[in-house]
Amino acid sequence: MRVTVNNLTFAYTQKLVLSNISFSLKSGEFLTIHGKNGTGKTTLIRCFLKMLKVNDGMIYLDDMDINHIKTFSNIGYVPQKTDFNYEFPITVFEILSCAYLKKRDAYYTKIINDFDLNKIYHENINNLSGGQLQRVFIARALLNRPKLLILDEPTVGVDVDNIKTLHETLQNLKQEGITIILVSHDMEFCQDITDYYLILNELGDYEFKKAGDNNVSS
Amino acid sequence: MFLASVFKDLFAFDFLQYALLAGLLVGLLAPLIGTVVVIRRISFIADTLSHFSLAGVCIGVFLSKLINWKIFDPLFMGIVFSILGTFVIEKLRGFYKNYKELSMPIVMSCGVALSGLFISLSNNIDSKYTNSLLFGSILSVSSTDLITIIIITVIVFIFIMFTYKKIVTLCFDEVYARVSGINVKLLQLGLTIILALVISLFIDIVGVLLIASLMIIPVASAILIGDSFLNTVVSSIVFSEVSLVSGFVISYHANVTTGPVIIIINILILIVIMLIKKIRSSIASKKK
Ligand SMILES: Nc1ncnc2c1ncn2[C@@H]1O[C@H](COP(=O)(O)OP(=O)(O)OP(=O)(O)O)[C@@H](O)[C@H]1O
Ligand SMILES: [Mg+2]
Repeated sequence: MRVTVNNLTFAYTQKLVLSNISFSLKSGEFLTIHGKNGTGKTTLIRCFLKMLKVNDGMIYLDDMDINHIKTFSNIGYVPQKTDFNYEFPITVFEILSCAYLKKRDAYYTKIINDFDLNKIYHENINNLSGGQLQRVFIARALLNRPKLLILDEPTVGVDVDNIKTLHETLQNLKQEGITIILVSHDMEFCQDITDYYLILNELGDYEFKKAGDNNVSS
Repeated sequence: MFLASVFKDLFAFDFLQYALLAGLLVGLLAPLIGTVVVIRRISFIADTLSHFSLAGVCIGVFLSKLINWKIFDPLFMGIVFSILGTFVIEKLRGFYKNYKELSMPIVMSCGVALSGLFISLSNNIDSKYTNSLLFGSILSVSSTDLITIIIITVIVFIFIMFTYKKIVTLCFDEVYARVSGINVKLLQLGLTIILALVISLFIDIVGVLLIASLMIIPVASAILIGDSFLNTVVSSIVFSEVSLVSGFVISYHANVTTGPVIIIINILILIVIMLIKKIRSSIASKKK
């Protein structure tokens, strides 16, 4: 999926958080977003997901203004762990099968197998470890057959092995032509497959640069 | 012994059959809707809407004494206010950033105040009537009431059948629901209208003060023991029905108001489950 951002500006009632951000990504490109706490990474993602309202002409997905997209399709989203409703009992099976609006088919089964979810399929998610939960979320995001995958801090609280697996998964997805936007504090994670960095600074200032390129182009 | 006498009366009197049937349906609907309310962390909305809906009923009583128009029928006005209440809550939430839940007590107080005002304005209301508004009067369910309840139950079931997956997804992760192509606004509207409908329907049967308990407490018990969404919903329905039927029998036998007895049984179930949980976890930690 092509992503185009044109002079994206966003302010909460008084506070300007994102100011005149522009960049674009082609299908299969990988963007990593860095930035100190409170610089607007999550805000940017919320704009993409239409949780926050932006003006017409600021964000395009495949050349379609997001304000004109009624319901999304082909977007996968892996939430920050804190954004998820725990405590109420629900099993992995229930989360995934309900997220899959169609009848369960071969694609569904493949995802379950790919992420090795059979063993924990009927577990209550409250009993899962951070890494297991992460696998469930990524599997869920892929059920959508996304062309754009957005991940918010997916490595927080996940052990080294699972981070490695996640890295492999993202690498494969990128090769399949899926556009990926990753928010992460971890500077090293996905260093090798990132095409672009978006670094948010305070006061709405930002840098957008090609990987391995030290020239600022903002 | 007294079970036998209750059964004998049950066959002898239509009104008892209506009451029991109505009760069983209420016992099914309440925790079903309650589950959604609890997961979405808006438990207080049930109380708020019921009190606001009460204002509608009271205004309806007042107006229908002045002008004999069908639209001032108290039950209908109750439904209108219940739905209106959800929109008022939504509007008020927009005024606060961190204190969004303030919208609930505001709407609730408004409902209580309006109810009090219009009850006192419409003089010579039977105190039996106001009492039944507050605590319900399941034994006075008429055959038309029963038909209304059946229709609404069917509507709710059809709605849930067609949107089950979407509801579950929405409840657990609204953002994901949005990106996965669910029309979240429309679904929320549907759920809200159903909630409002069910609440105003319940006023007559269980009373304003007890509606929320009937929706929330069985779910509160079920969450503690459930290990999947489905079995949590099912056990909340079981708790709800057990309390309804036993409350019905006991209150009929002891000749006391049904609603409060049902809620007390619900609370006893909750306490027992909490105790069992406590004992189990202390045994488990001792074993270690
Ligand atoms: N709902 C809101 N209303 C007003 N201001 C907000 C709101 N949410 C966030 N902010 C402010 O906007 C700024 C950016 O917040 P955001 O959550 O996007 O930062 P972030 O880069 O994701 O931070 P972190 O690294 O801590 O996750 C912060 O200064 C925050 O105080
Ligand atoms: Mg953040």
